[in-house]
Amino acid sequence: MIVECSGEQLVLSKERAVYWRREKMLIISDLHIGKSAHFRKSGIQVPHTVGLTDLQRLTSLVKEYLTEVLLVTGDMFHNNMNSDANAFLEWRSRYPVLKVVLVKGNHDALKNEDYEALGIEVHNKELLCAPFRFIHDKPREFDSYYNITGHVHPGVVIYGRARQQLKFPCFYFAEHCLVMPAFSVFTGLKIVKPEQGDRFYAITPEKVLKV
Amino acid sequence: MEKSRSAKPAVLKKRTADKPLPLEKSSGYKQVMQWLKSGRKKPFKFQTDAWAYYAEGYSGLVNAPTGFGKTFSLFLAVVIDELNKRADPEHSNTVIKSPVPNLQQQIGKDLKEDFKDLAEDFNKKSGNTKKTTNRKKQDAGLKLIWITPLRSLAKDLARAMREVCEELQMDWTVGVRNGDTPQNEKLKQKKQMPEVLIITPESMHLLLAQKSTFNYFEHLQCIVADEWHELLGSKRGVMAELAISRIKGLLKAQHPERLLRIWGISATIGNIEQALDVLVPYEDVLKTIIKADIEKKIVIRSIMPDHIDMLPWAGHLGHKLAHKLLPIIYKSKTTLIFTNTRGQAELWYQTLLAKDENLAGLLAIHHGSIDHELRNWIEESIHTGALKAVVSTSSLDLGVDFKPVDTVVQIGSPKGVARFLQRAGRSGHSPHETSKIYFLPTHALELVEAAAIKEAARTQDIESREPVVMSFDVLIQYLVTLAVGDGFDDEQVFFEVKQTHAFRELLPQEWSWIMQFITTGGDSLTAYNEFSKVSKVDGLWKVESRQIALRHRLHIGTIVSDAMIKVKYLTGGFVGMVEESFVSKMKPGSNFTLAGRVLEFIMIKEMMVLVRKSKQKTAMSPSWMGGRISLTANLGAILRKKYNETLYKQHDDEELDFILPLFQRQAKVSHVPKDDEFLIELINTKDGYHFFAYPFEGRQVHEIMASLVAYRLGRLKPITFSIAMNDYGFELLSEQPIPLDEENIKSLFSPDDLSADIIASINATEMARRKFRDIACISGLVFQGYPGKYVANKHLQSSAALFFNVFSDYDKHNLLLRQAYDEAFYQQIEEPRLAAALHRIQASKVVIVKTDSYTPLCFPIKVDSLRDNMSSEELSQRIERMTAEAEKKNTRKKNDR
Repeated sequence: MIVECSGEQLVLSKERAVYWRREKMLIISDLHIGKSAHFRKSGIQVPHTVGLTDLQRLTSLVKEYLTEVLLVTGDMFHNNMNSDANAFLEWRSRYPVLKVVLVKGNHDALKNEDYEALGIEVHNKELLCAPFRFIHDKPREFDSYYNITGHVHPGVVIYGRARQQLKFPCFYFAEHCLVMPAFSVFTGLKIVKPEQGDRFYAITPEKVLKV
Repeated sequence: MEKSRSAKPAVLKKRTADKPLPLEKSSGYKQVMQWLKSGRKKPFKFQTDAWAYYAEGYSGLVNAPTGFGKTFSLFLAVVIDELNKRADPEHSNTVIKSPVPNLQQQIGKDLKEDFKDLAEDFNKKSGNTKKTTNRKKQDAGLKLIWITPLRSLAKDLARAMREVCEELQMDWTVGVRNGDTPQNEKLKQKKQMPEVLIITPESMHLLLAQKSTFNYFEHLQCIVADEWHELLGSKRGVMAELAISRIKGLLKAQHPERLLRIWGISATIGNIEQALDVLVPYEDVLKTIIKADIEKKIVIRSIMPDHIDMLPWAGHLGHKLAHKLLPIIYKSKTTLIFTNTRGQAELWYQTLLAKDENLAGLLAIHHGSIDHELRNWIEESIHTGALKAVVSTSSLDLGVDFKPVDTVVQIGSPKGVARFLQRAGRSGHSPHETSKIYFLPTHALELVEAAAIKEAARTQDIESREPVVMSFDVLIQYLVTLAVGDGFDDEQVFFEVKQTHAFRELLPQEWSWIMQFITTGGDSLTAYNEFSKVSKVDGLWKVESRQIALRHRLHIGTIVSDAMIKVKYLTGGFVGMVEESFVSKMKPGSNFTLAGRVLEFIMIKEMMVLVRKSKQKTAMSPSWMGGRISLTANLGAILRKKYNETLYKQHDDEELDFILPLFQRQAKVSHVPKDDEFLIELINTKDGYHFFAYPFEGRQVHEIMASLVAYRLGRLKPITFSIAMNDYGFELLSEQPIPLDEENIKSLFSPDDLSADIIASINATEMARRKFRDIACISGLVFQGYPGKYVANKHLQSSAALFFNVFSDYDKHNLLLRQAYDEAFYQQIEEPRLAAALHRIQASKVVIVKTDSYTPLCFPIKVDSLRDNMSSEELSQRIERMTAEAEKKNTRKKNDR
């Protein structure tokens, strides 16, 4: 699905990513690489296929869209370097030309040399790329830039007659910012309370749907 | 007699009456009888029976009504045994003589010699050391473990036992160990275990999670599971089974000649023999059931409004009748008022105070979310008679003996006969007193339930408690518990676990899956190098990481609740706990009630809600999540009969006379189903098309039946329903007309192809997902945190639903996933009961009524807020239709403006 946002055309993919065509930029958020391994390290049994699935989805996205830049708006790495992160390193080496940019989130706490080794350009607070500001959590004050953020893992509930309801992850367009869905499948949802003028695009197994 | 008994190893049998017992000649018996006599007490026959069987080495189950000294039937048995041993060390040998042949069979012949040596050794030693001072050194330590399901019971039990020990001049200490026990007390116990330890199943596991526990049980004589019927049907029962198996195993490994008796105390339940089998599954012990031949007198009375119109058709509060409660409270010494939920208790407390200000200071509120010091104070005040009435939830259901309580009130349906009788027994606690219970209906139809319960109480038609089996989550938790403690040998523990009732059917491959799950993190071929939990150290499986051990100890237990957060006054002092989700709705300055006080929310600090006393008189009560209890089959059947009797006036129940006008109203707008009829109501309103059916089988059966019928209707055309139910019937609601008529109704409720249709119809995934919530917590996948304790590691937060998805997608053979489905199928679906209900419906005359307004019968279902979805449409279709509807609504709204 293609939407207009601040005069730019954005493609919303059902794989929880945004493609900014003019910049050939694939935008994702909350990748949480290494989350499953981090859990395993603490004695909680999470299958490691979870992390691999995320990378496979990323691969097919990069192939599907002509991608020069992969931008992650925070929480790329869940905790620290571990076997999952190594799998990412291996993935990274297969795409040497791809530029990977990270705007740091609350989880991103790798050492600078680790990012360097992974070939990731890091922005500590935000990245301005008119008309957008890429930032992990929405800023306190708004200006002329439209913010593209993550952090929240937004979800939306669709209600029907006869008290039916369904829950999905979503792209959440508020007045001053777009909240991206969490990319990783090993993440939960926070149901967002809509305010006047908010737009929601629910991500169903088949497609992206305006609600 | 000795001979015949030893020939049969494990038999259930009743003692043949009144033969003189060798026990009666023993000095311990005489001493205890002397003591009882001095207090002008005489033991009941079931008590002396229990003493006799105990003395002969039996394990078993005592079944007696409350208030007749169940505790003494076993505690004094242990005391007598101890006194006899002290008076005559030779005697101790003869007492354990009878089971010896069995032990030999079990352990093997060569042990016979060892045993003889040991016995001689023992005799020699005790011969030399008759003085009590030396005795202490030799066999001080745990003699008796007394398991109680509730912490609140422990204090009173300990008090009673200490009294006995003091008056009989025994130097035993009686200790309590549970979540409320202060840390220094626990440390003291660690240095020197008391002779008697009163403990909860959770604390037993915590004990096993400590280092070098194996020494504690060396001198253990007996484990008693008090209120066993309460534990039996839950995973806490499984915890008790496992802990007993371990203690028995530890003792056997060190002292194979010593006899460990296992006894239970249970109220009357439908499956008492099975209850014994679950508690004592071991073949190498003698066991028996001792049933008290005493009946407790109970008077049941319904509180009736002045007119039927004063009672609402639906609802669960019932406070319209509050004024009727006041005279009852004043007439009685102390009244316990039982409600079904904590929220309801808070509301009733406020309502009663608002009705009569004189009750201030004389009325208290007691439930599980109130701070335990406050609860202790309330319990103390009930004992001293300082309180006139206490509003409570199931937190006061069990055995504490409150002497001043002479009246009990039950608000709303208790859902089952056993629960009602248990609560009734809280009044008139001492023998031969009459228990008095008032039933206060919260909506009109509950009056019929009152009549039904009276009948069930009369005929002693009491429910069974199904024991929980194959709960892998509890087993996983238990194994990690052992690994956190001294570590375990997998072959030894497999052998022990396999002996328990809960894991009798455990397969070796399931065992090895579980072992892999806790050691390597999964059954997949990939080696998870970084996985760390349980690993082998010096031949034993242990947890090495201190952090993992700490986290595990914090969440031992099987009661899963939503994240709770403590409430504290700004000036100090805890009030209780509320759910985190409730707190998130609070703003500074907003008010809520807890423990009967109106509190003003100030802020959350360090995972604590800080409050001050509010100036307001009333405020909203927090809602605590909690399962809803379903009407039992027993009660359902009697209920149907009562419906019949009401209309034909073939009864002596004043409740049914009273409710007759409502039935006449129902008869006018629709129909009152007779015993051999099955009523269906089709009602069309602006909400959509409603389909109501009334099988009177309880919420749980209705849930499945509703899904089944929805599925079968869905085969006729793609259609989505939302489902609601209560204990009387269920509703299917759809936005499309429902393809249903006289022709197909019987086939919709047909018992043919039942299993296949159930599997296809119920949203098994959804049900399993719900069940998985507890499983994930118990097995340690999700750390729920402890009330008021900060979850230190935010990086490890996740939800059970997430794990459910992940396992479904990436680890299909996960046993915990299978358990979730099994629990959904066996506990939720109750297929035999469903089939029986469908057969009954087939034989009934179907009455279909079409109307355009809600009827008295359907109204309680309609307002029920717990709803489910059932759909035969494709997901994408549903989404499109729902969004289109929403769109339509929006455009309509715009046009309206």
